[in-house]
Amino acid sequence: MLTDSNISRILEAAMSKSCDFAEVFYEESTSRGVALLNGKVTSAGTNYDAGVGIRLMAGTNVVYVYSSDKDPEVLINLAKEAADALKGGSKADIMELQAKCFSTPNLINIDPMKVPKSDMVDFIKKASDYASSYNEMITQTTGSIATSNRIIRVYNTRGLNKEESQSRIRLSMEVIATKDGEKQTGRIAPGTMRGYEFINEYPILDKVAECCDSAIRMAGAGYAPSGKMPVILGNGFGGVIFHEACGHALEATSVGIKSSCFTDKIGERIASPIVNAFDNARIEGEWGSYMVDDEGNDSSNLQLIKDGICVNYLVDELGSRRMNMPATGCARRSNYSYAPTSRMSNTFIDKGTDKVDDIIADTEYGLYCTKLGGGSVDTATGEFNFAANEAFIVRNGKVCEPVRGATLIGKGQEVLMDIDRVADDLELSAGACGSISGSVPVTVGQPTIRVSSMLVGGRDSGEEA
Amino acid sequence: MDIKIAEQFMKKLIEKSSSYGFEEAEATFMNSSSMSVDILNGEVSSYERSSDQGVSFRGKINGQMGTASTTEFDDDAVDFLLKSALENIEVLNDEDEHFIYCDPEHAILKYEALSDSYAKNTYNKFAEIGLDLEKRILAIDPAVKGVDYLSIGCSTGPQLIINSKGLYAYKDDDCVTLYAGARAERDGVVKSGGYYWYGKDIDSFEPDIFVKELEKRLMGKLGATSYNSGTYDIVLGNEALISFIITFFGNFSGYSMMKGISLLAGKEGETIASPCFTLREDPNYDKALFKLPFDSEGVPTKAKAFIDHGVFNTALYNLRSAHMAGKESTGNGFKNGYKANVATSFTNLIVDPGTKSFDELCEIVGNGVYITELNGLHAGVNTISGDFSLFCEGFKIKNGKIDGAVEQITISDNFYSVLKKISEVGNDVIAEPHGEGEFFCPSVIIKDISVAGDGE
Repeated sequence: MLTDSNISRILEAAMSKSCDFAEVFYEESTSRGVALLNGKVTSAGTNYDAGVGIRLMAGTNVVYVYSSDKDPEVLINLAKEAADALKGGSKADIMELQAKCFSTPNLINIDPMKVPKSDMVDFIKKASDYASSYNEMITQTTGSIATSNRIIRVYNTRGLNKEESQSRIRLSMEVIATKDGEKQTGRIAPGTMRGYEFINEYPILDKVAECCDSAIRMAGAGYAPSGKMPVILGNGFGGVIFHEACGHALEATSVGIKSSCFTDKIGERIASPIVNAFDNARIEGEWGSYMVDDEGNDSSNLQLIKDGICVNYLVDELGSRRMNMPATGCARRSNYSYAPTSRMSNTFIDKGTDKVDDIIADTEYGLYCTKLGGGSVDTATGEFNFAANEAFIVRNGKVCEPVRGATLIGKGQEVLMDIDRVADDLELSAGACGSISGSVPVTVGQPTIRVSSMLVGGRDSGEEA
Repeated sequence: MDIKIAEQFMKKLIEKSSSYGFEEAEATFMNSSSMSVDILNGEVSSYERSSDQGVSFRGKINGQMGTASTTEFDDDAVDFLLKSALENIEVLNDEDEHFIYCDPEHAILKYEALSDSYAKNTYNKFAEIGLDLEKRILAIDPAVKGVDYLSIGCSTGPQLIINSKGLYAYKDDDCVTLYAGARAERDGVVKSGGYYWYGKDIDSFEPDIFVKELEKRLMGKLGATSYNSGTYDIVLGNEALISFIITFFGNFSGYSMMKGISLLAGKEGETIASPCFTLREDPNYDKALFKLPFDSEGVPTKAKAFIDHGVFNTALYNLRSAHMAGKESTGNGFKNGYKANVATSFTNLIVDPGTKSFDELCEIVGNGVYITELNGLHAGVNTISGDFSLFCEGFKIKNGKIDGAVEQITISDNFYSVLKKISEVGNDVIAEPHGEGEFFCPSVIIKDISVAGDGE
């Protein structure tokens, strides 16, 4: 058992040499879930993981050790080995651990960890059966519900002693529509930090119908055009472009070592004046939320871009030391096997004043991406790529035929400047973000926006605007 | 943790499983110990060490398989695993049977490939190599502005599977990996590039060769321009071809075929690729660093061709998908970590090389594009239909020669069409770690690919 007394001994061992800061991160997580394929339960699992990570810092040098063995003597020895390996720095005092402070970002009526798996199965089965009978083109359905509870305890040599409990639920449904051998998918994957009542209240059949309609539409769609054109990005998961192309480049992980395309840009214009963007980890019940980050700092509602001007970076403890800026409570890690680093939480472009219909009506020719898939970015160059899972041609101010296979490519710093319309229909959407501290739950979001010119990689020749 | 302690725990788990009603039972233990050193700005910026282990249980009742996992190894953990697995089995109604297996002739399976050189992997050794390498990379050219990521790591750890049918499968291996990513800037345009190395013995790492390769991947990108949209013949470079095949390789899984989510279903024996293209698997390939004599189900692995001179020879089967298809397992049932369910994966993949050098491939193309990197492979593809539209980087090919870098272009086509459009296979084989082993692959020429760009 890791008592406060044992934690103090580990911190003392860590500080025995030239360390100026040490931290112990304890984590235990339980996950349960079910998965169905075509209405049959093919998988049901339960996992329990627990472990400890010990981080030592001397200036900007870091030693991180971790183990799933929670024997205090093993961890003390590990801390001593870590202390031996740390270079530089000067010895600092260890402050007495404060009384433990508890927190949770959850908003729970029905504890998801206590819901019988049979209830989860019934829910997915109903959705799956509905999809299968929706249209004969729907040839396959998969669905799952995954629930997890993660308890973290963070202690450090500044006396910090905090514990947070984070429960999450993720529902996923995917349908495949087949037409003339062509297969296209429609999917939903909402996530929440609310209780199981979120599932009970979720309008699953309406959402499944939307999924099926999308898959059927795309199975009959022609190929997207190629070339530069105005691109309208739908609300919700459309925000993944901002997340990837701009959010990552505002993290201390890259800004702190001056490798980001947004290095030294505080106070400078990095986006069109109609762009305001936030990273808000304190939205109650939202999928990417947390009250205390994985370094034990309080999370924040941080404005990143104000009227197009860069006003804040996402800064963790290490970034704080590198950049001489205060930490913003954004340090996250997938689990104890990763040292924490600056990450996003619920990140979105804020709503504007335009109406979606007006944006479409004012677009002579372009691409309207209503559902985006994933993508990736190089934070040094800003170059990104994204796939459109559902897109339509806009012609003479009207939404016309659906097109498939569109990839959007560009440079984040250019696209931000080219946003010329921002609608008022802000929506958030759950996702998972991968980076050097592993995969963490995040929310992306935006209202419908238009980028005046963007390169679309499709297969057919475009039309002249 | 001592493997003997884990083994005792697993035996207790299996013995007690029958009291919970399990007809057959299996336990999998995995341990991982790793160490890594990161270098930044002339210093060791980060040093990591870890020791991590866990155990999973799977038990069978009436053809359904219940699973659970934990990082604990006490008596409470035994009951947690058995109770959780039983709770899971109560909701399962999978139509397809799962299997716990032991071939009496191969009940004891052991593979140990621990390297004598592993002891050399110390903090000081890695720090010395890393700091020297950083200096060498920065000295490539004044345009190199930073080595943003440089990490050297090593890992090892035993895996043990035992089951109620008598299987005892033990495996232990080790490896050293090194990756460096650098950033260069010229005329206000920033480009990044990286390269990796892996091996058993850090002393066989050759920094001169590594830096030359990294230089090619970084400096070659400077001055890149876009390209005119159109249809071109391309040289798909060996690294790009590996990532391309890996992205769509799930379609070769017997399970995907049986479930109708692979368009290869029912095509075994048919021509699906150009006759010049052969893709095979050899778990004990002599050139491979990693050998895999058995899979995670205790089935001995074997060499086979998936595509033999264009003909789809066999899919990958584990015990479950083989039973569904009325075939035998091909030894491709692997678990990605102790917690994971048995899925389908591969050992050492090999695209048989042709006779043409890389320069000859460019000469054959004449005017087109040489693609070195495909990006966004997790997003810009429809793995089921095979359609893709991918952001990529590479070089122009003009009059049969490499002629300047290209950027901000996409290539679009369909995986199954591309297999048939391979017109030449080169002999410039490289190896990369993938799946459970490595992938050995040369560059190829692909005819008539749609390229989208914004060139003048």
